[in-house]
Amino acid sequence: MGTEIEADGRALRLSRRERALAQMEIHDLDILVLGRQANVRYISGAPQLWVVGTRPFGPICEFVRATGEIHLNSTWDEGIPEEIPHENLYGFAWNPMTLVGILQNIKGADTTRRVGTDALTPMFAQLLPMAFPNAELIDAEQALQAARRIKTPEEVQALRRALIVAEEGLAAGVAALDPGTTENALAGAVLEAEAAGGVSTPATQDAAWVTSKEHPWRRADGDGSVREGDLVALSAGVLADGYVAEVARTLYVGEPTDDVHALYRRRDGLWDKLVEACRPGVPASGLLDAYQQAGERLPAMPVAHGLGLGFDPPVVTPALRATAEADILQEGMVLAVTAYVWEQGVGAVFTRDAVLITADGAEILSAVPAYGEAVHG
Amino acid sequence: MTSALVTTSTESGVTQIARTGYTWLDIPAEPDFARMRTQVGARLHAAMTEQGVDALVLLGNGNVTYATGISWPLADAGLSHVERPVAVVLAGDEHPHLFLPFREGAAMESDLPDDHLHGPVYLEFDEGVAAFATVLAGLIPAGANIATDELTGAMRRAGSALFSSAPVDAGPVIATAKLVKTIDQIVCIRRACQITEEAVAAIQKSLVPGARQIDLSAEFVRRTFELGATTNMFDSIWQVMPASKADGAWTTTGDLALPLLTTERELAQGDVLWTDVSIAYHGYCSDHGRTWIVGQDPTPAQQKQFDRWARIVDAVLAVTKAGATCGDLGRAATAAAGGEKPWLPHFYLGHGIGTSAAEMPMIGTDLGQDWDDRFVFPAGMLLVFEPVVWEDGTGGYRGEEIVVVTDGGWMPLTAYPYDPYEVSDGN
Repeated sequence: MGTEIEADGRALRLSRRERALAQMEIHDLDILVLGRQANVRYISGAPQLWVVGTRPFGPICEFVRATGEIHLNSTWDEGIPEEIPHENLYGFAWNPMTLVGILQNIKGADTTRRVGTDALTPMFAQLLPMAFPNAELIDAEQALQAARRIKTPEEVQALRRALIVAEEGLAAGVAALDPGTTENALAGAVLEAEAAGGVSTPATQDAAWVTSKEHPWRRADGDGSVREGDLVALSAGVLADGYVAEVARTLYVGEPTDDVHALYRRRDGLWDKLVEACRPGVPASGLLDAYQQAGERLPAMPVAHGLGLGFDPPVVTPALRATAEADILQEGMVLAVTAYVWEQGVGAVFTRDAVLITADGAEILSAVPAYGEAVHG
Repeated sequence: MTSALVTTSTESGVTQIARTGYTWLDIPAEPDFARMRTQVGARLHAAMTEQGVDALVLLGNGNVTYATGISWPLADAGLSHVERPVAVVLAGDEHPHLFLPFREGAAMESDLPDDHLHGPVYLEFDEGVAAFATVLAGLIPAGANIATDELTGAMRRAGSALFSSAPVDAGPVIATAKLVKTIDQIVCIRRACQITEEAVAAIQKSLVPGARQIDLSAEFVRRTFELGATTNMFDSIWQVMPASKADGAWTTTGDLALPLLTTERELAQGDVLWTDVSIAYHGYCSDHGRTWIVGQDPTPAQQKQFDRWARIVDAVLAVTKAGATCGDLGRAATAAAGGEKPWLPHFYLGHGIGTSAAEMPMIGTDLGQDWDDRFVFPAGMLLVFEPVVWEDGTGGYRGEEIVVVTDGGWMPLTAYPYDPYEVSDGN
């Protein structure tokens, strides 16, 4: 991270914009009007204040296909790449009409034909035509997802750096795990280590929980205390230079029983099937089938999702079965893959690792140790 | 809410610098979540009736928290639009419908009836929207007026297959409902403030030259989570102020930049920091800011900055009460500052707070003077004041104060001292 706020590296910025331009061409989009933090970062290469959760759509970054010009909602120039000049920066606004005025002043706004937005609100659906009177409003999220889907080599590097910090966070949670501690204290330890490791922006804050012995996916009902005999899930997620890294492990508190060992072995069996499914040319639904092949029940959460600046496609979950069947894995995709097994009266073993799809199959990017259990990373 | 004027206070914080209108509200120690959901539901339904909305389809995290009472540790913006809870609020049904994702162990407790709890929906995907449309068709009567707070690309592609007629913006309904907080929402916000202040106090106590900004962030998340925070709302700000405006970052306004991002920068003796942090407790936010000086006491010139700031806060609070307008407060602040607006031009003198760290109303923005003058405060609304004063060479002063607007004045929710600055005699 360092002591200066700096734009993303030039090669990273240019490689991403090149992909976005190619997709704008394919989707015939003249201008992108973006509101989502990940898309804004993808195009602008500028770090902005991290704010948690979804946000309502607003025009934060505009990218003009014909000129390559970028306009950005930023009140200052710290961390803004050199190719975005001062005159293309516009400050915070609370009145949507102020933003309409900004958009109207973009060169070519009055003649542009197809405007792509990454989301919309009914209000901006009404207001954007005032800035682009001759344009059709089109969904641009599909184009951006297509651009973001395959990682550039610079992006894979960024993901590797993010993973190192997430792994430090996880290790801090492991070190703090003792009977008598609490979920809150463990979450605090994980988040503290991530911040001290140079990344104060968490991707996820659901960092530690006692898995339920009674319910296949809920956390244990209780006061948040960790006790002997609990299977405790630790999950670290960071957002480093905009890129998401997620890793998770489950640890047993105490001397593992035979039932616990058996559950970890089930996890390992499942993991092997999942890794086999991570290869180019096969549908993402293979990850759902891996659960079936391993004889495991599909978990409530997605089995895998793309990693990049936030979620990237695919999102592999039984609720999107047809989507996953149509989605063919490609070299250069990075997935967070989840293994989840549960046993009544014992609890759950949950692990998550980052996997790069290569020509030869899966490369596990995480280097998280097994922490004394049968879990391998 | 019952209120009674009191004449003395042992609290530290704003009552040391302002008394006019100070009101004591009886706020319970713990929130009653069932009561909160009932009262919020009544407010939402009243706003829907008033604005002719029959069904609300809510995707925004803060709006779902508001409408359903659930809370969970929020994820980064890049993740949170894919796996997110969705709420559907129907006129004539006291309970909202809730579509829950199962993000690992997320503790999404809800006392909703079983037939109002649904599995996850994935509205970024055509397949997910098609499944959602089928459920919605069974919930929302044909011809209903529907309002929503977001349209994903897949929702737009689905068109009338999802919403039989074009939905209106849910913003006005939500903003109307959110404006006045129920007593249990106030309890949650006060608890969020207490957690924040306890964590910040420990950090301030141990602040020494050589500490990195990011170490303060690390200690903040750890302590707040240990104390029961659900979510860290934004990247903590520990901004080192420049010696002069000219030495600071270029801005579109020519004024100071804020908030500049936290780095591994080591803090030096004499650095003046403007702090700004926020957490959520059961979905409701704190917002906390003070000015610190690393490793030394303020110079007389620096102390004067605080004195000016305190006078502005005093003047603003003296006119804060139900029935006052945003315009009234802006004018009081400007007069106390000697005719210049004492807030950053890209921000505001103050703002509301609830499931977001900053929500309506905003005071003194590009919404304009007319908007400010027409915005009349109801009792039970919350405001966060954040005036700033500046003089080159001092690092200026900025702090944040949260108050509940009452019939006769205000009740503070912030109770944090101003060290290392001295509070003079007060008034």
